[in-house]
Amino acid sequence: MSDGSGSAEEEGGVLPSRRVVLALGAAAASTVVTVRPALAQTAGSVLNCEIPVPAPQSGAGQFIAADGSLVPAGTAGAYPPLARPLKGEEVRSMLNSGRAPAGVNGEAAQAYANYIRRLQAGMSGFTCYASLQMPR
Amino acid sequence: MAASLYAADPPGTMRRVELEGLTLLYHRPSGLTHFLAPPAPQILEALAAGPASPAEIAARIGETFEIESEDPAAAIAARLAELEAAGLVRRA
Repeated sequence: MSDGSGSAEEEGGVLPSRRVVLALGAAAASTVVTVRPALAQTAGSVLNCEIPVPAPQSGAGQFIAADGSLVPAGTAGAYPPLARPLKGEEVRSMLNSGRAPAGVNGEAAQAYANYIRRLQAGMSGFTCYASLQMPR
Repeated sequence: MAASLYAADPPGTMRRVELEGLTLLYHRPSGLTHFLAPPAPQILEALAAGPASPAEIAARIGETFEIESEDPAAAIAARLAELEAAGLVRRA
């Protein structure tokens, strides 16, 4: 038994705060394992998949603002929907190097790129975008 | 030379499930699922407050945890490299 000061605290209902110890591990340890879905495994299928901008089910006729959000048609500073879906290859070079697809100006391409970055599971083009994101 | 700053996507872009010491994390933007062991989840939590250097991340984690490491910044840099390769962290 010690001097009893700890038990006095416990009797009073005040427990000393205990901080959890967190080991950071050795440099060679591994703490991340990634599960990759079997999406478009070949380079060809990734580059040929398509992303409509915007997805027809959520944004038909809507414009795309600079931050990638969908806004009503005609909104100032926003860009009209693309007449054709973008190919995976175009999206990859747009996201990686900022190169605008043929027929699209640079500022509009940035808005379209931001729209694509916001895609979520279930939206048209998400699977294509996820495939492009996958580390090789 | 200034240390690199690292950033992570906001917590709302990820779905987390705790599994007895491991964290199962679904990253919505990439559609990828990751198993994380400590201290990787704690690093992501630290980055939720904004971009930070390895030393700043160690300081943020130290507010909640007792860190056990001879060289916290070096250990965190090694963990950050893993998280970066998995697409969960990027240079800010």
